[in-house]
Amino acid sequence: MRRPGTGARWCCGVVMLAWCAWSDARVAHAQSAASWANLSPEPISLADGHVTIGGDVSATYGSVDPGFFNYTDYEHSALRMIRFNVTAAVKANDHLAVLGDLQTENFDNLRPYALYLRIRPWAARDFDIQAGRIPPTFGAFARRSYVADNPLIGYPLAYQYLSTLRADALPATADELLQKKSFGWLVRYPVGSQTLDHGVPVVTALRWDTGVQVHAGMFKARPLGVTASVTTGTLSNPLVRDDNGGKQVAGRLEWRPTPGLNLGVSGSHGEFVSTAAANAALPAPRPDTLAGFAQTAWGADVEYSRDYFLVRSEVIASRWRIPFANEPNRHDPLDSLSAFVEGRYKIRPGFYVAMRVDHLGFGSITGQTQSGPWDAPVSRLEAGAGYSLFRNLLLKGAYQYDSRDGGRLKPVEHLVATQVVFWF
Amino acid sequence: MASTGLVVSAIVTLVAGGARPSTTAAARPGSIRGHVDLQRTPVPAARRPGVSDLGAPAPRDLPDLLRSVVYLESAPRGAFETSETGRVVMDQHNETFVPHVLAIMTGTSVDFPNSDPFYHNVFSLSKAGRFDLGRYAAGRSKSVRFDKPGIVRVFCDIHSHMNAYILVFSHPFFALTNADGRYGIDRVPAGTYNVIAWNEGTASEPQSVMVPDGGIAELDFQLR
Repeated sequence: MRRPGTGARWCCGVVMLAWCAWSDARVAHAQSAASWANLSPEPISLADGHVTIGGDVSATYGSVDPGFFNYTDYEHSALRMIRFNVTAAVKANDHLAVLGDLQTENFDNLRPYALYLRIRPWAARDFDIQAGRIPPTFGAFARRSYVADNPLIGYPLAYQYLSTLRADALPATADELLQKKSFGWLVRYPVGSQTLDHGVPVVTALRWDTGVQVHAGMFKARPLGVTASVTTGTLSNPLVRDDNGGKQVAGRLEWRPTPGLNLGVSGSHGEFVSTAAANAALPAPRPDTLAGFAQTAWGADVEYSRDYFLVRSEVIASRWRIPFANEPNRHDPLDSLSAFVEGRYKIRPGFYVAMRVDHLGFGSITGQTQSGPWDAPVSRLEAGAGYSLFRNLLLKGAYQYDSRDGGRLKPVEHLVATQVVFWF
Repeated sequence: MASTGLVVSAIVTLVAGGARPSTTAAARPGSIRGHVDLQRTPVPAARRPGVSDLGAPAPRDLPDLLRSVVYLESAPRGAFETSETGRVVMDQHNETFVPHVLAIMTGTSVDFPNSDPFYHNVFSLSKAGRFDLGRYAAGRSKSVRFDKPGIVRVFCDIHSHMNAYILVFSHPFFALTNADGRYGIDRVPAGTYNVIAWNEGTASEPQSVMVPDGGIAELDFQLR
């Protein structure tokens, strides 16, 4: 299923990664020390600190994944990926900054992962307005999906696993949706766009939405953060250009009652189905009907850390409503519920072990000929370890057990992967 | 400029090999005094661009990068018998290690209290002192005893811009400069020594100085 040349590009990426680490070490050697232990982990600072540039490079190589458990689209598996990330902050003054993130996966197009303006109206107050392609308001993982922040190699299912839903193409009946179970990596429907394309995850960690975000922080002793945003796309389908005239509203409350304990709750609601697809499914739908084809999600997350261990957990419930062209009176919601718990324990300086237990389930619907979950429920257990050769050069290894209850693809997989991460 | 790592390695080699320093035994120790002229402006480590943050980060203190360390490249015979160990403190305050540079003798324990209302995680992967103190909250402190000479780069695993240096020596002949760049190394037996100045990972070439019997030798450095 891989495009010709992917292997060559992967090899090229490994060489570039090695070159990055080697050249940085040479600079560090020349400037400061005879040891690679002093390999510079600092971002590049220019113009008296007004411009800072950071980045990370990772190369992941793992088992073939014929069950498509780890694919982020038709061609990209999270277990076989070269990822380059360059982040930059240009701070004009205490009130104004521009932040951006350019990213490429497997040397495909260089994409602006983030590009936004941060405005702080009162320099002394923890109140910011961000506009552009902004960080996700919803949940916790999407904001720490950078490779160096992920203790394992795979992503949580809710943030990566491709369901069979698409915003631009629709099944004509519930039966048709049920027949597509497990084919989220490449799915085609008769209504709307006729092209083969991948479905959407519950929350997309790999693309950010476009809009305006307001964040306020208060109470220094027990900090409380409040964030709200209005964006063009939805959690499942972030967009730069609007495709349905609707907006997503998202909010998040985050509270740290004591150092080491973070509690968060999030909610979002936004129009999911594109206007073109909805028009193809329903003859002359009214605007308020279109607004009903939405994604609504609720999430709760917790992080607790102390001494050498760190535990995180996140639960996300999502509901989509889509039109069925041949069943115009069907209004069943399409539900999903996901939960994961991950833990990391540092065994010795620079060496840790980690594990994540993860499940993504789908609600049942009833068609004319069959009924059951509208997509095949998936479970994942991933266990791994990380070793820091230097502060900013990390080696990871992981084993992943995936299982899928239903669908026609391989139901169980045992996968292994290794990853090298370099960041500055 | 010589590499600091090489210079400190030289000290370690001397200790291990028991090489004789170029000194003359004398009854009354002397001193070496002088000034380190920093001809560059050290820049504190920047924060990584917080692109995924929901708002701007809180302001932090900036470390004092102007303190240099001046030390003898090789110590006089008998110096290693000194067992002047103790405890010193490197605080974590407003996302900064204070002080930014410590110079200590082997056997010294360094306390790392956390004075911030959030977690820090002090660690080092340096050969001279590989440790990880884990995450701990305000009001708590953990300590590390340093038994190997060398340079220890200290970081926080949570705040990537936090870093500090601990220079660990096998002998007592070293000094930190004050805010004006002045230093003084006392109780140095009379003799001729090579002296090195170090700042933020950059070391000077060794400079030779003769310490008179009971007297003071003046030695200035320029660090680029």
